[in-house]
Amino acid sequence: MAAGFPSPADDYVESRIDLNEALIRHPSSTFFLRVSGDSMRGAGILDGDLLVVDRAVEPRAGLVVVAVIEGAFTLKHLRRHRGRWRLEAAHPDYPPLELGDGDDSRIWGVAIHAIHSL
Amino acid sequence: MARLASGREATVLIDGNNFYASCEALLDPALIGRPLVVLSNNDGCIVSRSAEARALGIPMGQPYFQVQRQLERLGVIVRSSNYALYADMSQRLMSVLEEWVEELEIYSIDEAFGLLHRPGPASDGGGDLTDWGRRLRRDVQRRLGLPVAVGIAATKVQAKLANRLAKAAGRGMGQGAGEGVFDLGAVADADPWLEAVAIEDVWGIGRRLARWCRLRGIASARALRDMPSGELRRGCGVVGVRLQQELRGIACLPLERLPAAKRETCVSRSFSRPIATLAHLREAIATYTCRAAEKLRRQHQRAGALTVFVRSSPFNGTSFYANAATVTLPLASHDSAVLLAAALPLAERLFNPHKPLQKAGVLLQQLQPDTLLQHHLLVPQSAEQQRRRQALMAVVDGLNRRYGSGTVQWAACGLQRPWAMRRGRLSRAATTRLADLPLVHAG
Repeated sequence: MAAGFPSPADDYVESRIDLNEALIRHPSSTFFLRVSGDSMRGAGILDGDLLVVDRAVEPRAGLVVVAVIEGAFTLKHLRRHRGRWRLEAAHPDYPPLELGDGDDSRIWGVAIHAIHSL
Repeated sequence: MARLASGREATVLIDGNNFYASCEALLDPALIGRPLVVLSNNDGCIVSRSAEARALGIPMGQPYFQVQRQLERLGVIVRSSNYALYADMSQRLMSVLEEWVEELEIYSIDEAFGLLHRPGPASDGGGDLTDWGRRLRRDVQRRLGLPVAVGIAATKVQAKLANRLAKAAGRGMGQGAGEGVFDLGAVADADPWLEAVAIEDVWGIGRRLARWCRLRGIASARALRDMPSGELRRGCGVVGVRLQQELRGIACLPLERLPAAKRETCVSRSFSRPIATLAHLREAIATYTCRAAEKLRRQHQRAGALTVFVRSSPFNGTSFYANAATVTLPLASHDSAVLLAAALPLAERLFNPHKPLQKAGVLLQQLQPDTLLQHHLLVPQSAEQQRRRQALMAVVDGLNRRYGSGTVQWAACGLQRPWAMRRGRLSRAATTRLADLPLVHAG
């Protein structure tokens, strides 16, 4: 074993900042997706972003969610409209989609971070 | 009548429904609601079916080449086994289950036993855990998007049976069994449920024991439970009696909290097409040996003996050929070079130019912990030499972990590998590789 004087800094050792820890609250329910398209630019989500999605987060009005629409992952705003849930695109070309009672499973997860390089 | 709950403890068995197919559909929503099958190694047999494929009557275990046409006609989607994805989803599943169950025994990639305490007063056998099972099921569905079945009972054999009943419930096996959850300890009379499980479907029964039971008219789990123990002991020994005790609610198979140290490690694969040259067999054996050595080092073990086995295809022709050869190492080792030097001469001995081979494997035996450095009079290797070899192996393993397996490899493993496993319909490594992430459309 190493002999000699102990380093005076030993008592202050902390582990280095870990981005996983900063960005991921629930590792087992967190998935990464790659964003394709620019229509969520208004929400700060750009084409090519690495999207961090947490399935454990309860979907709430105002959150950005990953929805399954016609067999594809699609990014939408979840909103409350006249007492009903609906998925709204940030783009005017796409009509909002009302969610019925059995449509819970359409919401795949809640987007919690979008990561892009500058 | 026979209420099965014994005492306050309960055993639960949780497993994934159509686990491989469910993992595939989770990361590729185009598969949701579609008939889907997953093939075994080398696209050999059907090993997992989505509910929709099951409903079409596609049988489990069927060799792919036999049903390929039928699958195409029915519009069934076919996937190769994506082990990286399943292993990752398995780890996620087990860590969620650990939050629900204090003591968890991971039994396979998609099933785990757990120990529970029945709530409520002990006097009436403890409370019903069906609701607990439903909550667990919902939680796994929400967080992981995977359907699971939950079987609860007094012992492992009973829990396995309850799990079977939980799955059968969804397929019209009658009332009482909640959808995907069944607590055998909470039903007023367990007899009809045990009656409904065929003797062959009792966990751990084995083909020989099941046949012995059938010959004596023992056709169900209930009949096995109720037959005289003496007769069972004479006919089937302690194995049969232990099963019977478990069915009676007396635990004989304790929960294994820590996996036992492995005594053998095996790497074995089918070839994409039959191997008929010694050069290709050497490459394959070298590849499997290096892979096995890597596993050994990860398990912190050394092997004292090594076996190479080969066989031809059971499907074509009449001249089936299977053979194996074993060598004992003078000094137990986990060094790829040492194991290769032992394995390759065996490959040469087993090769027969007139017998094209379909499958081969390497089995490492007499495993021992690698904590002690060993010395041998006839194989002089200084502690310093051993230390250096170990450092080299650590570097190789580190590079392969970091940059992908096969980054650094022994030349004997070959580069082209025309014999290597066929996985023609492999989905992407959607949770383990950045380049393979699924797309989400912003539109």
